[in-house]
Amino acid sequence: MRLQLAAGWPTAAIGVGLGLGVVLVLWLGAAPAAFADDRAEVSTSLFAEKRDGSKGGLTVIHPQADLGVDLGRFVTLDAAYAADAVSGATSVIYQVDAISSATTFSDIRHEGTLGLGFHGRRSRVSFSATVGTERDYLSRQIGGTASIDLPGRNTTIGLAYSHSFDQVCDKDNGTLSPQEAKALTGADPCDKSNGIFGKDRPGTTLWRDLSIDTAQATLTQNLSPTMNLQIAGYGQVLQGFQSNPYRRVRVGQNSPQEHIPATRDRLSISARLNRFLPKLHAAVHFDARFYDDTWRVVGGDVELAYSQYVGKSLLLKLHARVYQQAAAKFFKDAFYYQTLSTAGEYFTGDRELSPVRNATVGGKLTLITVGGDKPVWGLFDKLQLNAKADVLLLDVIAADNLADNPMGIDKQFIYGNSLIDAVILQLGLTGTY
Amino acid sequence: MRGTIVAIAIVLTAAALASAGCGRQAVRAAEKEFLADQVMVFDDDPHEASSDDHIRANREGAAGGHGAGGGGCGCN
Repeated sequence: MRLQLAAGWPTAAIGVGLGLGVVLVLWLGAAPAAFADDRAEVSTSLFAEKRDGSKGGLTVIHPQADLGVDLGRFVTLDAAYAADAVSGATSVIYQVDAISSATTFSDIRHEGTLGLGFHGRRSRVSFSATVGTERDYLSRQIGGTASIDLPGRNTTIGLAYSHSFDQVCDKDNGTLSPQEAKALTGADPCDKSNGIFGKDRPGTTLWRDLSIDTAQATLTQNLSPTMNLQIAGYGQVLQGFQSNPYRRVRVGQNSPQEHIPATRDRLSISARLNRFLPKLHAAVHFDARFYDDTWRVVGGDVELAYSQYVGKSLLLKLHARVYQQAAAKFFKDAFYYQTLSTAGEYFTGDRELSPVRNATVGGKLTLITVGGDKPVWGLFDKLQLNAKADVLLLDVIAADNLADNPMGIDKQFIYGNSLIDAVILQLGLTGTY
Repeated sequence: MRGTIVAIAIVLTAAALASAGCGRQAVRAAEKEFLADQVMVFDDDPHEASSDDHIRANREGAAGGHGAGGGGCGCN
């Protein structure tokens, strides 16, 4: 999300979310009798992040709607819509006293996906196309997945690949060097043709390409009647413009646009384990992940969760996750960019590239209603209402020697300074019919 | 560090393949009652998974790679 638009989106986003729900229910009501595993899901998430005083913060409302229907015995059609309505405040310039230069912004992003799936007795293949659009960022993605259950049906191997043709609106800086380049502003026009293709305005703004190739291999294994394991390997190659076009970094006396490398290769591996506890009618979940990339961001997370049925229709899940990452090799605390005579080839104020550790704790409550002889609401075989709440705790780490940094890192405005950094709330409704 | 990733990946894959080799008879169809439960399915709630990934991708540099949904239950 990289936008600076006019206010007024929250109402629009809520309207979109409610509208989607209404349309979905009407559509389902009018639909002919379908196969048992057709599925519809609507949800809305609220992410609220707090920064210092009245000068910071970020709020994101994220409605989603999915619909999957069978087209005969072997083919499924999926359609999905998601939106992001973002508002908040961020620093204009990454510098040692960035709070004084916070500015407000808001943005809305729309994303639509169409997918076609084919499934046999033990194998599945699917293809999808996604288009995402917002004022200053366009995304067009195609992808495919394939999976097969090995004989015995205790092992599943899955492969996935996607390619994304993205475009980022940027200031046309002509032949200026990175140290002289000016950042995009909310007042700059970002023209489009047909809504999903960027259209340059020479001398003012142009659209820069970003290609993203993502591949993933997954192996899922039943280890016992009460335990299964999943191991995944993930790789991604990003090529093109990856800076935030709005962000400026104080380098000496100048404030050029953020400048980061055009190529990034990412790798990660993860392992997940589920163990069912029959006597408790509960399950424990373990998840660990390790990550590395060519910008030398090294990170990892560990997550533990516990699911407990309460009666037949209530499911409670509690979870806790800790995460830590090292800084990208070119990331510096603002003081060092600002006071060193040269910042180096690259300079950034991107918090995703800073060193940080965080923790997430939360819970999820699911109300399950299964229709017997009579469908739920006259339509669904099974209906689930989910309510989830998470709290994010944060511990910012200095990228450089803190002893030699008289300004500290508290005012860099990358993160807030309070222990509780953000709250996430999610409400969802899932129905199979 | 890349070497570490490769080493860990090889060990995990070898362990998984070894278990897969035993897996044909590891769990019989009649024993999959608990594996079929929704709490045993990875990413049983796709909206929750995509929302979590979305938030993390905007806050953390080490995004991606959390595996795929579904399970190896073979119950359906």
